[in-house]
Amino acid sequence: MKNYWKRGEPMVLAAGATLAAILFMTITLMAVILGNSLGYFWVKGLVEYTLNDGSHIMGQVTGKELHALTNAKRVQLKVANRDIYGQDFRWIDESDIKGQSVPKEAYLLDRMEHGNFFGFLKELKGADGTLLNPDPEMLRKLSTDLRRQESALKDIKKKMSDLNQASEVIRLKIAKLEYRNAEANGAAIASLNEKRNNITEQFDLLKDELNSRQQELAKTTATFVDASGTAKEFALLDILNIHQPNKMSLLDKVWVYAGKIGELLFDDPRESNTEGGLFPAIFGTVMMVILMSLFSMPFGVIAAIYLREYAREGRLVQLVRIAVNNLAGVPSIVYGVFGLGFFVYGIGGSLDKFFFPERLPTPVFGTGGILWASLTLALLTVPVVIVATEESLASIPKGIREGSLALGATKFQTLTRVLLPMATPGIMTGLVLSMARAVGEVAPLMLVGVVKMAPSLPIDGQFPFFHVDRKFMHLGFHIYDVGFQSPNVEAAKPMVYVTTLLLLLIVIAASSLAIRFRNQMRRRYTTSHF
Amino acid sequence: MAPNIVDKSLRNDRIAAWLIKSGGLFVIVVVIGILLLIGQVALPLFYSPKAEQLEKIPSELAELLESDNSAKIQSRKQGENGKITVQLLPGDRISVHQQLVEQDLLGNEKASEKKYLLEDKLPGAITALWLGRRGQSLYAGTDNGWLIRWDLAEEGEGRLIEKVEAFKDHRKITALATLLGDYSLAVGDSTGQVTSWMPVKTPGTGEDKRLAQIHRLPGFTEPVVHLLASPRDKSLAVFNADGDIRIVHLTTERLLLELKSGMPVKSSAFGDNGRKLLVSGADGKMVAWNLDIPHPEVSLSTLFGKVWYEGYNKPEYVWQSSAATDDFEAKISLVPLIFGTFKATLFAMLFAVPVALLAAIYTSQFMAPALKGRIKPAVEIMAAVPSVVVGFLAGLWLAPLMDKHLMALFLSFIFVPLMLLIAILAWRPFAEKTKVGRGMIGYEFFGLLPIVALSFWLAGQVAIPLEAVLFAGDLKQWLYSSLGIRYDQRNSIVIAISLGFAVIPIIFTIAEDALSNVPRNLSAASLALGASRWQTAWRVVLPSALPGVFSAIMIGFGRAVGETMIVLMATGNTPIMSWSFLNGLRSLSANIAVEIPEAPFNGTLYRTLFLSAVLLFLLTFVINTAAELLRQRFRKKYGRY
Repeated sequence: MKNYWKRGEPMVLAAGATLAAILFMTITLMAVILGNSLGYFWVKGLVEYTLNDGSHIMGQVTGKELHALTNAKRVQLKVANRDIYGQDFRWIDESDIKGQSVPKEAYLLDRMEHGNFFGFLKELKGADGTLLNPDPEMLRKLSTDLRRQESALKDIKKKMSDLNQASEVIRLKIAKLEYRNAEANGAAIASLNEKRNNITEQFDLLKDELNSRQQELAKTTATFVDASGTAKEFALLDILNIHQPNKMSLLDKVWVYAGKIGELLFDDPRESNTEGGLFPAIFGTVMMVILMSLFSMPFGVIAAIYLREYAREGRLVQLVRIAVNNLAGVPSIVYGVFGLGFFVYGIGGSLDKFFFPERLPTPVFGTGGILWASLTLALLTVPVVIVATEESLASIPKGIREGSLALGATKFQTLTRVLLPMATPGIMTGLVLSMARAVGEVAPLMLVGVVKMAPSLPIDGQFPFFHVDRKFMHLGFHIYDVGFQSPNVEAAKPMVYVTTLLLLLIVIAASSLAIRFRNQMRRRYTTSHF
Repeated sequence: MAPNIVDKSLRNDRIAAWLIKSGGLFVIVVVIGILLLIGQVALPLFYSPKAEQLEKIPSELAELLESDNSAKIQSRKQGENGKITVQLLPGDRISVHQQLVEQDLLGNEKASEKKYLLEDKLPGAITALWLGRRGQSLYAGTDNGWLIRWDLAEEGEGRLIEKVEAFKDHRKITALATLLGDYSLAVGDSTGQVTSWMPVKTPGTGEDKRLAQIHRLPGFTEPVVHLLASPRDKSLAVFNADGDIRIVHLTTERLLLELKSGMPVKSSAFGDNGRKLLVSGADGKMVAWNLDIPHPEVSLSTLFGKVWYEGYNKPEYVWQSSAATDDFEAKISLVPLIFGTFKATLFAMLFAVPVALLAAIYTSQFMAPALKGRIKPAVEIMAAVPSVVVGFLAGLWLAPLMDKHLMALFLSFIFVPLMLLIAILAWRPFAEKTKVGRGMIGYEFFGLLPIVALSFWLAGQVAIPLEAVLFAGDLKQWLYSSLGIRYDQRNSIVIAISLGFAVIPIIFTIAEDALSNVPRNLSAASLALGASRWQTAWRVVLPSALPGVFSAIMIGFGRAVGETMIVLMATGNTPIMSWSFLNGLRSLSANIAVEIPEAPFNGTLYRTLFLSAVLLFLLTFVINTAAELLRQRFRKKYGRY
């Protein structure tokens, strides 16, 4: 036994145990995220409890717990109906439960506001006020009808938004003319004002029409009662989805699940981001990363080529390399501070002063925006590209370079026709790694233009189509904001887990891709050195 | 080949070379530019203030002048619409005249007047009198160095609160004034000294607060004749008989400006919200200055030293950049934040370094090569997990979980090593006797994985009854009531684990690279000489790879110092200075993220946050440069890797 200790075999095992601990942590992380997010969209059955005091309560069982001291079991129930109960979850002691049942007719409603509603259908009222037969088919039919009619209103909404935009353009024109010389341009301003008033009138007409038609649609109502008998009347328009979970087959549930994932990816968020989709956040993230790559990629590659192929090896290059490595190690928040000071207030402020003086003090570029965010992140990720490109250039054997030069090619030709094609996997590694880093980086973005709720996407149908000055939404910031700043954290948690899973999938996919590229590169050129 | 093609490609080559060189240099300029720019924003914090004499005095400024500097009669607004006037009568009696306006619910105003005399017996003759700006308290200084304080807040009644022997040498107190916020009293005396006093709880006086000397401000060598407090911040203009003026700041004890009016000053006023100073002499001649004092509250001593703030009982390091009122004293000590940064980093490194290094040794030296190719990418992917994800799980999953199972966590500190020890002891016969055991060489950690999980589970199971027996079912309550330890839900253990999780893959990857790149002939020789595999790894491979391992630790350290999201989400962000691992903290980086959205452009807070960014930059710069130099040395020693 003494020998066993002396030879250090236990230390080997201890070292193995630390690796096991690391893997354990990683697995736990993944398990927690998967476990909390995958179940979110699954339509769970509704259970109705009768309590000892005679009251009824209905909801989805979300957890069970054994109290440590008393050994009493209790059940966590998602009772929804936030507008009636004020809270989404309730703990019920098992000893309080007299009976339980699974009501077939129970409904689960996704509403525009206040989260879900669990209850029973009591009454249906048509647009003309007549009472209709309160059965599921009728409800479904009315609901689909209403959706169809509502989508017809989209045209009006589109027209209104166009008018709004046109009016804004004119307003800016007027502001510009007034700024230059209000008196000399008096006639022009007057005519523009008239035009704008015209537009406003049209807008108001449309708005009235929209309102009246929406009111018309809202007349179709449904009355639901919750388990304890409290009735609540909804405009059917405010109910997004209607399910009867206890009647649904497995296939139905899978279908709904898929539909909800679709909603997640392509819809706008609702209820201060705690429900609905993530489309603006995904779009903002992707667009910011692409924009960032446009900046970081060329500069990173050029700098690497300079360092590796053009600069003479010496003190300066060594210093530069240290500087680049340093740049990679600088905390991201420092980049955020730099972006705020230099891009937003510095360059943005000057741009505003020169090009948009009439709009001051309202900033155009002098506030956070997707352009500044991408530039900031480009700075942050440039070292990644530089290091990866340099590494891949360095791994190309010297003979290839010399061969090309010996055949009479210029240095530039050698670079573009021989070296760069060979180094492409390495450069791609750098690019993908930098993208993965940018997708996950949040701290600097908080200073340079990410917002919790952007009114419009950075790309849309309005001239000039691509609005780099707009603020945007971002998946990572979404996690922080919804998880830590929303008023009802408990209800928001599932959404945060889903967002986390999505972000993690993107990052892991990107990183795995990068690692594959790199291994490919290594295999191709590494000559054994032992 | 046609010569023009050669020319063309040569020309292209020259252009490209030029472009590439300038592009490369541009990137380098950017690196340096970042530091310079952040520094340049922070630097004005330390610029010395400037004053410029106005050639023409605006009439609205001249109207602000008080009629008389002698201040035998002073009046202030009291309450909403009331007014209070005090007058020093001969024989050191003070008459108080209150004009009260009361409003009933209907808005009808009822005016009443109260008059009374303060006739307390005083230790000396009153030489300076000051009625507080809100008309609530009255201060007097005597010719023999006593300070007297009355409370006038009550209707029709003045109460003597205290008489303090301010100066043991019985010098004459010549001028009094309260500073903005009406809390600190500035006292000027015949020796030219200016001191600040405020009510402080001192030992022996119980709950009563008594005036105590807090700051000694730069004064004159000749008597102070008048004090004038700025309406904008906690600064003060001090006048002497020759008309020399010094503007000093309370918190920093800095001499901000020195002005010379060249005549005895009869009356004076601040105008334009403290940005202009106007004085007039006996003959009605007026002199005015434009004051440019951008950041009076900043000095190295307030940023990095202990300061005795208003309302505190002793000098402390405090970060509190804003409050509900405008007249509060900004507390911008960076020390609690630097402390928080290092506390978080230290705890995280205590957890991460041993784990990551041992795992790296295992992976590089003992693990089966086939498996190694899979484990390394797995850890690299772990490195790619965004910090916001780690922070979210730490704050919203780990912290509540730990809150619930604190006992289990403490127990697992004992259980995990214990179980592992048992496993290690049981391992030997298993490894030597059985076929499976022999096959496990290089795969040991697979066998250990369930043991790690099992010991956590076991700790959880034992914890509940144990906590019930020992601590009446509530460990946190017990900690607080018996040991006085406060427990924060988002505490330093959460930080250590989550920040450690973020740093482990970085340290692991770099250290593993360094260990793997130690030439194999070294270890082969060691093994051939009869050393065991652990002895080889520990005594031969590790010392050779030490520079690389050090640089791995440093890079991990650099990352932990600057990490923002994890610290922001997993701590309560309370800027307290306590080493307890059950308390939260606030780090420099999280502080920037929290405060900069609220900081006005180019204001003091904004620049202070830039200064903290500079500190972070420099800190990581030093660490990373050292790490890089070490790595380059290592590379030289063993060739490329």
